[in-house]
Amino acid sequence: MAEDLVLDTAIRDWVLIPLSVVMVLIGVLRYFVSKLMRSSQSPDAKIIKEGQVIIRARNLRAGANFIPPKSFRARRAYFSNEENGLLFVPKGQAQNAQAQMFSDPNMAMDMMKKNLSMIIPQTLTFAWVNFFFSGFVAAKIPFPLTQRFRSMLQNGIDLSTVDVSYVSSRSWYFLNLFGLRGLFSLILGEENATDDTQRMMQMSGFGFDPSKSLGAEKDGLDIVQHEWALPKFEQRAEAVLKKLVS
Amino acid sequence: MAGHDDSGASEKKSSEAINDLPTFNAENMQNNMRVIYYSRTFMSIIGGFIAGIWGFTSLMGFIFYFLIMAITSVGLTAKAGFTIHSYFDSWNRIILDGFLGGLMSFVLFWTFSYDIVHIF
Repeated sequence: MAEDLVLDTAIRDWVLIPLSVVMVLIGVLRYFVSKLMRSSQSPDAKIIKEGQVIIRARNLRAGANFIPPKSFRARRAYFSNEENGLLFVPKGQAQNAQAQMFSDPNMAMDMMKKNLSMIIPQTLTFAWVNFFFSGFVAAKIPFPLTQRFRSMLQNGIDLSTVDVSYVSSRSWYFLNLFGLRGLFSLILGEENATDDTQRMMQMSGFGFDPSKSLGAEKDGLDIVQHEWALPKFEQRAEAVLKKLVS
Repeated sequence: MAGHDDSGASEKKSSEAINDLPTFNAENMQNNMRVIYYSRTFMSIIGGFIAGIWGFTSLMGFIFYFLIMAITSVGLTAKAGFTIHSYFDSWNRIILDGFLGGLMSFVLFWTFSYDIVHIF
């Protein structure tokens, strides 16, 4: 289609490298800012308690086969009997927790802060890139692409004769935005900003309902087939000890 | 002698019984998965740089990516001492998981180093 373009080395020194470095640094900055702004709200005792109960029930379910049948039945009754089991939720209280969460202003505030710490740097960087670097080719992707990708990769260049593998600076910004996620997870550890967004997505629908998960856990515990797995462990212990002695 | 034989046999039997059990610690398992994810990301970034510096284009680069991922899988298997089942619940974990997750990072760093070295 078009022969190779000759790009000025000044573009590399003053656009490509600075843009990438700035993207990385802004990611790091955003991580630390969101870490600073994270308010440590005092959690509700009831919700914590329900969460712990769920974890205990889950542990019981996971380790069910390692305890004798009698012990398992006793524990299951403790968790899920219909009168005063820990996982039993009375009918009337189910809506209560959700309403409480809606009325809690701290939570909405926290989410808004997280949201802002995501959106503001992105808007600023995009404006910066747009203002300084718009309208020329900054990079070239080393593999051919179809015409379909032109609007994605040559955002800001209105020429139809340039080969699609050339990338405008604005699109280089977008490539960085998506591609650096892996690097951030390496240099910032597990709980970086991108993970925060996923968590926020889950929380924002108020899909987290403790009483519902209590009920689900109770059902799960009820259908566990108990089968004691350790009748032969005495023999094994004997064998190991014999080996040690001899 | 007989006692020795007996203990060996019973040990074998009971160890078979143990191997039948699905004994997993979910947290450790998740940690192993995280290690796999990290090593794949790291390898894809490094591989992207290498591919760009060597000047691979189009299909060659993607073949190189798959090669890098295969090497990573083999390396992880060697790190696990070729006994996958004491660390993971299936072979898919070590071979397939996160295979395409590093592609975006790979392409980014491939483009970056290729541009810096070759096109200007």
